[in-house]
Amino acid sequence: MNIIACVKQVPDTEAQIKVKGDGSGIEEGGIKWVMNPYDEFGVEEALKLKEKFGGEVTIISVGPARAMETIRTALAMGAEKGIQIDDPALYNADAYATAEALAAAIKGLPYDIIFCGQRAIDDDSAQVGPILAELLGIPQVTFVTKLEIDGKTAKATRPIEGAQYVIETSLPCVVTATKGLNEPRYASLPGIMKAKKKPVDIKKAADLGVSGASKSKVVKFTPPPARPPGKIICADDTPEGKAAELAKLLREEAKVI
Amino acid sequence: MSNGLVNTRDQQFLLFEQFKIDGLFEREPYSDFSKDIALMMMSEAEKMAVNVILPTYAEGDREGCHLDKTGQVRVPKCFHDAFKKFCEGGWLAAVRSPEVGGQGMPVSLYTACSEFFGAANFAFLMYSGLTSGAAHLIELYGTEEMKNKYMYRMYSGEWGGTMCLTEPGAGSDVGALKTTAKRLPDGKFLITGTKCFISSGDQDLTTNIIHPVLARIEGDPPGTAGISIFIVPKIRVNDDGTLGEPNDVKVGNVEHKMGIKGSATCTLIFGEDGKCVGELLGKEREGMRIMFNMMNEARLEVGMQALGHASAAYEHAVQYAKERIQSTPVWEMKNPDAKAVPIIMHPDVRRDLLWMKAMVEGIRAINFFAAYALDMAKFAQTPEDRAKYLGFAELMTPICKAYSSDMACLVTSKAIDVYGGYGYCQEYPVEQYMRDVKIACIYEGTNGIQALDLVGRKLGQNQGKNVMNMAAEVQNTINRAKAVAGLKQYAAKLEEAYFAFVDLTMTFASLGKSSSFLIPILNASPYLELFGDVLVGHFLLWGAEIAQKRLEEIFEAKGADTIGKRRALVHEDPEVAYYEGKVAAAKFFAAEVLPTVKARCEVIKQGEKIPIEMAIESF
Repeated sequence: MNIIACVKQVPDTEAQIKVKGDGSGIEEGGIKWVMNPYDEFGVEEALKLKEKFGGEVTIISVGPARAMETIRTALAMGAEKGIQIDDPALYNADAYATAEALAAAIKGLPYDIIFCGQRAIDDDSAQVGPILAELLGIPQVTFVTKLEIDGKTAKATRPIEGAQYVIETSLPCVVTATKGLNEPRYASLPGIMKAKKKPVDIKKAADLGVSGASKSKVVKFTPPPARPPGKIICADDTPEGKAAELAKLLREEAKVI
Repeated sequence: MSNGLVNTRDQQFLLFEQFKIDGLFEREPYSDFSKDIALMMMSEAEKMAVNVILPTYAEGDREGCHLDKTGQVRVPKCFHDAFKKFCEGGWLAAVRSPEVGGQGMPVSLYTACSEFFGAANFAFLMYSGLTSGAAHLIELYGTEEMKNKYMYRMYSGEWGGTMCLTEPGAGSDVGALKTTAKRLPDGKFLITGTKCFISSGDQDLTTNIIHPVLARIEGDPPGTAGISIFIVPKIRVNDDGTLGEPNDVKVGNVEHKMGIKGSATCTLIFGEDGKCVGELLGKEREGMRIMFNMMNEARLEVGMQALGHASAAYEHAVQYAKERIQSTPVWEMKNPDAKAVPIIMHPDVRRDLLWMKAMVEGIRAINFFAAYALDMAKFAQTPEDRAKYLGFAELMTPICKAYSSDMACLVTSKAIDVYGGYGYCQEYPVEQYMRDVKIACIYEGTNGIQALDLVGRKLGQNQGKNVMNMAAEVQNTINRAKAVAGLKQYAAKLEEAYFAFVDLTMTFASLGKSSSFLIPILNASPYLELFGDVLVGHFLLWGAEIAQKRLEEIFEAKGADTIGKRRALVHEDPEVAYYEGKVAAAKFFAAEVLPTVKARCEVIKQGEKIPIEMAIESF
């Protein structure tokens, strides 16, 4: 089975994000970069399918030089090879341009199934997987928490509010992974040592025949407003007095009741 | 944001900016490594520590270990899955050679990973640590048959290992042990005796346990010179590798301890039914020498335990002090409208935190350097270099073990102080650090024994060259720091402490030559602490000198040409904040602690013998 897993390098969930003074992006100094956690579910599922059916897992990432660490992490987990699409035209690309570059890189490869994370935790757009499927003209199932493959078709479980869909589709298809699908493995020390010898192709937008141009443009980054300080109610020291004061504030200041 | 366990930035500073371990990657045996790979391994260690091991910390403490009705020890349930993942990751045998199933990792690099694991849950780490250590003894001294039978399956984590020295009547005095070995016709031995305080002595993580056991062959002389070492499996292993009959190794009890409750500390009874069979490891009567391979490694690991706990306690305390709001600042004393501030704003808390920071970074440097010295000994191109670095590791081992654990106890105690009443409650994690770390002062040779090892054995080793080489390192640091404008006065403080300490060391040496042992022995513990303080001063100042240079480079690159601009950068640039902290911790230690060294040396040199002169009845 030929399996592709798309990964994105994102700031660690614990990273403290600071917006640049001019609002053009975020300060990257001091940030720890990690594999997008939802992509980890995709990589793990890809490795499990390979272990079951044989074949190869190829990792693809669009990103600057530092994104190589994320590809190597996936290789250390057990994938066979990687493709890095590193082109300044694609830095800060939108979901369409990213998916277009991924599609162009994938078109020349044999594949039975493609995994993406359901969304990246940095821009939260949740669009790359779906656009990629459209560009490749193959089916897609998103937000998958359970996947069964018999070699020709996929049966995927997707939660919806209060229930779940079970969706059957032919292969090849795009599956976007979410929490619950599996428990991603840790890269082992032997895996890390082997990963450095595994091949990674580095490609530019032009190599893939795409311009890298985004359809949307980020106008400005602004940090969320600082949380206003809390208020301690101490008007009257009895519970009744405090409750009355609280009700008054909720009605008049917060206007929530 | 901090992971709450270890400052990875400081680890990277030590490894790559101060000790420059990437130099090791240039040739064998470490040429398969690179800085990228090292960073990736450290990052995986962090994930393993935070996601897999840390969740077992409080749970393992609350559940503890128990002996079930069948005589089998049960470890905390949550350890099982974590142990499996830890072994699958290849961490158990990370520093062992690839030929025997290890990863061939430099010890200094593994040390950074092990700090994380120890900070996450040292009680958990002991099962794999003892297994790796026991398997290493078989690797060094075992026959091919023993290696095939036991070693590989231990390095993979399939079977466990222990270290059986202590007996009820033979702790610090190992030579007094009573366990015996009786020759059998097939060349094996019948082992009979009781061992106590055996860490990982029994557990249900692995299907078999291989015990290296110290015992005296019938007829061999008393004392340590008559001790041999035997490989004793919990369950006998058939020639085809399958498990056979139980080997008459019974668990007497599991201790109920103050800390590291997740680590099963057992009394083991060998040969109660006369059916416990052991195989001699190495030669007869060389048991102590062989076991010392494992003990030296274990002592360094105890130093790492101390470091891990101190680091986690400090990281927690800093985070708490930034969030906990209490009391108005002292300069607002007379302002009735003043608001309460985070407690890190209070001078007393702040001072404690800086002392903790300096101490954690200091013992981190001491332990990392000892590990680096082991790597350099392997890497060295000349016999002189090899001897020099091996000498550093040998000299520093008792300091890594004893100084780190004594200081870690103080750091964890201060962390509780920062939390106040909450710190004393189990709802918060810091009280467990203090309980768990205390054992580091005791096992693997009490800190008193470590001090005697330093004064009685290590100082004179290699004709005193080891200590002279270390003195030369300190002198180099002083000379370099003197050339840096902002550090000159602190270099002078290190120099004063250093002269006093060297002078005391010379005094000890001449007392030793004239057979006047009492003063060095009576003062071995304070001497070890002095040595530790001088080394912390040395490593911190060395780091500060590098950090100061980096700061100047950053200031120039960012056009920060005024004090105002430089100060502003601390808040904007985490690198500037880190380097400023590095310099401040070194200055603080030099200003606060180093000036006491001279006075403490003088006290020892005065030769008072009051504790000995006072009669026991007067205590």
